Amino acid sequence: MPEAWGRVLQPIRIYLFTVPALLVIGAFFVYPILLSVNLSFTNFTGVGVANYIGWANYERFLSRSRYLNSVGVTIKFTFLVVVFQTLIGLVFAALLHRMPAIRNFCRAVLFTPAMMSFVIVGYVWQFIYAPYTGGLNAFLSAIGLESLARGWLGDPSTALFAIAATHVWMFVGYTTAIFLVGFANIPSDIEEAGRLDGASSWQRFRYLELPLLAPSFTVNIILSTVGTLKTFELPFIMTRGGPDRATNTLSLEIVNNLFGSYKFGFASALSIVMLLIVVAVAIVQNIYLKRREDNQ
Amino acid sequence: MRPMIRRVVSIFGQASVVVVTLAMLAPVFYMIMMSFRTSAEIAEEPLAMPQALYLGNYANALENMNYWQGVLNSLGITLTVTVLVALLGSMAAYPLARRTNRFTRGVILIVALGLATPPFVTITPIYVIFRNLGLLDSYPGIVIAFTALNLPLAVFFYTSFISAIPKELEEAARLDNCGDWQVYWYIVRPLLGPATATLSLFVTLMVWNDFTYPLLLLSSPEKFTVMISVYRFVGNLNIQPDMLFPAAVLGSAPLLVLFMIFQRRIVSGVTAGAVK
Amino acid sequence: MKSLKIGLAGAVLTATLCGTAYADKIVLDVTAWKGNEAEPAGLPELIEKFEAENPEIDVEFSYISRLDTDVVLPPRLQGNNAPDVMMTDMPLVKIWSEAGLLADLGKDSPWYGNIEPALQPSVTAGEAVYIMPLEVIGMGNFVNLSLLKQAGVEDIPTTLDGLKDACGKLADAGIKPLVFTGSFSAPLFVIANGIERAEGQAAPYGSPDKTFAGDAAFGSVLDTVRELIDARCLDPKGQAGLDPWSTALTAFKSGDFAMMPQGAWNIADFSSVADLDFAFAPIPSGKDTGVALDLFGIGWSVSANSQHQEAARKFVSFFSEEENLQIMLDAESAYSPFVGGQSGTSDVTKPYDASRAEGGVIMYPFAVLDWPKPLEKEIWDSLTGFLLNTDRSNDEVLERWDEAVEDS
Repeated sequence: MPEAWGRVLQPIRIYLFTVPALLVIGAFFVYPILLSVNLSFTNFTGVGVANYIGWANYERFLSRSRYLNSVGVTIKFTFLVVVFQTLIGLVFAALLHRMPAIRNFCRAVLFTPAMMSFVIVGYVWQFIYAPYTGGLNAFLSAIGLESLARGWLGDPSTALFAIAATHVWMFVGYTTAIFLVGFANIPSDIEEAGRLDGASSWQRFRYLELPLLAPSFTVNIILSTVGTLKTFELPFIMTRGGPDRATNTLSLEIVNNLFGSYKFGFASALSIVMLLIVVAVAIVQNIYLKRREDNQ
Repeated sequence: MRPMIRRVVSIFGQASVVVVTLAMLAPVFYMIMMSFRTSAEIAEEPLAMPQALYLGNYANALENMNYWQGVLNSLGITLTVTVLVALLGSMAAYPLARRTNRFTRGVILIVALGLATPPFVTITPIYVIFRNLGLLDSYPGIVIAFTALNLPLAVFFYTSFISAIPKELEEAARLDNCGDWQVYWYIVRPLLGPATATLSLFVTLMVWNDFTYPLLLLSSPEKFTVMISVYRFVGNLNIQPDMLFPAAVLGSAPLLVLFMIFQRRIVSGVTAGAVK
Repeated sequence: MKSLKIGLAGAVLTATLCGTAYADKIVLDVTAWKGNEAEPAGLPELIEKFEAENPEIDVEFSYISRLDTDVVLPPRLQGNNAPDVMMTDMPLVKIWSEAGLLADLGKDSPWYGNIEPALQPSVTAGEAVYIMPLEVIGMGNFVNLSLLKQAGVEDIPTTLDGLKDACGKLADAGIKPLVFTGSFSAPLFVIANGIERAEGQAAPYGSPDKTFAGDAAFGSVLDTVRELIDARCLDPKGQAGLDPWSTALTAFKSGDFAMMPQGAWNIADFSSVADLDFAFAPIPSGKDTGVALDLFGIGWSVSANSQHQEAARKFVSFFSEEENLQIMLDAESAYSPFVGGQSGTSDVTKPYDASRAEGGVIMYPFAVLDWPKPLEKEIWDSLTGFLLNTDRSNDEVLERWDEAVEDS
C-alpha cells in the first residue's frame, strides 16, 4: 500500500517541497492581498464597517494628478537607485576581484551601512544634508565648493537625488558582495586562459567576466528594483514626501492615506495599483534577464 | 623596471580603492562623533569633534532604553528565523530551480507577489490572524511573522543559487536510487553554505532593523527588539541629537559585531566553492 | 479532622496572601504620546501619585508616539485588545467613536461642566463625550531676545508692520530673521492670519459651503507672505523644504534664526540650552494682539471594551483635579481646558499669555474638527510649493486645499 502511494506520488513528490513555504506565503501574503482587493472597493476607515463604493477609489487615483505624479516619482527613484547601485557595485566588485589583498576588508567596509536600519540612516543623513548646520555643506565649503552648498532635501531639484544617494550608500555593499560571489564562481581556468591569450584587465572584464556575471545581474537588479519600489522609510523620515511632493513615492502615499488619514479603502486601492506595477516590472525584468542569461 | 612600475601602480590603485571605501564610512564616523557630544555643544557648533569623551548621553540611553534585553531578544529571534527561513526557502527553491513547468511558474509568481507586497498593506489582516491564533505579544508570533516576511526573498535567492549548481551530482545520486528528499538533504543542501551565509545576512538585517512588525505585534517592553527600544527612546518628532546619536550607535553596534562573524563565514564559504 | 482544619487554614492563608497580591489588583493599560523622556508632560510623576492614592490599581503605562498611534492602536481596538485608557485628540476621537470603539464618559462626569465654554461643543458628540481634555497648548512665535537686541529691535513684533520692520533691522545686522518652513511654520502663520481675516469663521471652509480659492481672506495672506519676502524676513527657497521637526529646531537653538513659529511644547527643551534667551509670543497679525493659535491637542479616552471601566474613569477624573493637572500643565507650558483653571506658563510665555488675555485666541481648526485632517498635510505641501515659486497664483495654491476638503 505505501509503495503504491509512493508510485502515485513519485512524479509530484518533488513539488511537495514547496508546500510549507506556500502555506506560509499564502497565509501572510495571498490571503491579506485578497482582503485588500476587497477593501479597495470600500470606504473602510480602518475601524468599523466598510461600505461598498464600487470603483470610486480607482477613479480618484486616475482623476487626480497627484497620484500619477507619485507613480512617476517612484519610477524615477527606483531607476536612479538600481542603475547607480548596480554600476557602482559592479565597479567595486571588479576592482576588488583584482585586489585580493584588500578584498575582504573593503567588502566589509562597504557593507557596513547596510547594517544600520532605515530609521537610523534616515536621521543621520538628515543631519548631514541639513542646510545650515549640515555636514555636507560644511565639507563643501571646506574644499572651496561653497557655491554648491544648498538645502539638499529642501530643494525639489536635488531632494530625490539626495535620498537616492543615501539609499545607494546603504545598499551598494550588498550589490558588491553579490557580484563578488559571481566573480568567485567564474571558473579560474577561463580567466587563466584569457590571461594567457594576453587579454588586458579591461578585456577580461568586458568579454569574459561580464557575460558570466549574468546570474548576479539578475539577482542584483531584481532585488534592488523590488526593494526600492516598495521602500518608504527614507523619504518618510527624511522629507515626508516633500518638498511639495518631490519625493512623494507611491508607497509613502499609501502610508499617508493609511495612517495619516485613515483612508484604508483608498490606500488598499493604491496598494493594489502598486502591487500590479511591482509585479509587472518584476515579471518583465525576470523574463528579460533570464533570456539574456540563456543567450550567453 | 616594468614590474616595479606595475607594482607601484598596483599599490597606488589599491590605496585609492581603500581610501574611497573608507570615505563611505564618513557618515558612520559622524554619527559616532556626535554621540559623545553634549546637546549644548551640538547646538553651539554642529560639526566640531567632541571636546571630551562625554559619556553622559550613553549613560542616559542605557538607563532608559532597556537595551540589553532588546539585544537578547533581537539575537534570539534572528537566529530562529534564519534557521526556519533557510530550511523552508531552500526546500521550496529546489524544485523551482530544477523543473520548469506550469506549476513552478505559478509558484514563482506567488513568491514574487510576496516579495512585492509592501509590508504595511498586509498589516491589518495579519493582526487579526494573529489575534485569532493567540500569537500577539509572543516570541513565536514575531518569529513566524519575520519568517514569512523573509521567505519570498529566500526562495528567490536559493532558486537562483541552485540553478547555478551543476546537475551531474544529483543525477549520479538518483542512479544510486536516492529519493528527492535524500538528494535534497545529502546532495543539494550541503552545497548551499555560501548562499545561506549571504542569506542569513539579509535575514539578520531585516529582523534587526525592521520596526513595523515588532511595533505592532509586541506590546510588552520586555519582548521588544533593539530597534523598537531605540525607536521608542528617540521618538519621531522633535529629534534630540544627544538622544538620537547614542541610541543610533547602540542600536547599530551589536549588528556590526554579528556582521563580522557572518562576514568570515561568507569568505570561507566562497573560497571553499572556488577551490572546488 | 485535624487535617481538614490545616487544609482550611491553608486555604484561607493562600486566599489572603494571593488575594491581595493578585485578585484585587486591577491592571490598567494606559498609552500616550507624551510621557517619554523628550516630552514627559509630568506623566511619570502623576502616575506614581495616582497609584499611591489608589493602591488597588496598577497602571501599566506605555509610550506610543502620535504617528505610531495611527498604526498601532486601530488593530488593537478592533482586535478587542485595546488599552483601557488612551491619549487621543479630536481626529482620532471622531473616527474611533463613530466605529463605537470608545466609551461614552458621560455629560454627568464631574469635570464636563467645567470645560471652557469655547471648547465644550468641540468635545461633545451629540449626547456623548468621548474625550476628557487635558490641555490647550499655544502655537506662536518663538523669539530669540538676544538676537533682537543685537539688531536694535526693542519690542517683540506682534503686528505685520512690526514684523517687517524687525526683519529689516535683523537682516541689516546679518541675522537671519525668520524660520518659515513650508511644513508647519509657514502654515501656522497663514492659517492664523487667514482665519483672523475671515473674522474667526473657520468652519465654513471645511464644508462644501465655502472654498479657499477666490477667497479674499486667504488669498490676501499669501500676498502678505510675498511682502514678508520683500521685507527680507526669509529666503523662500531656503525655507521651503526645511524640516520643522528637527533641522529648524536645532537651527533656532543654535541661534541661527531670530524668530520661529512653533508650538509651546518646545519650551522645556529650549530652556535647557544655556545661552538661549527667548520668549514665546503670538503670531504677528493684522491686529495689535497678534494671534494666539491655541491647539486643543490631547485628552484621555476610554476604550469601549475595557474590562475596567470604573478604574479607567477614576484615572481620567484624577487628571481633571486641579492640583494634578497643574503638574502636567507646568511640564508642558500649557493652559488648562477648564474654567478658572490655572496655566502652566512662565515668564517666557508672557507675550503669548498677554495676547490670549486680550482676545487674540484662534482655535487651531484641525484640532476641533472644523477642517478635515488631510487638509493639514495638503496645506504644508502646497505652501512649500508656493515658497519655491511665489509667482504661482494664489488660486493655484488654494485650489489644492479645496480638493483636499472635497476628497476627505
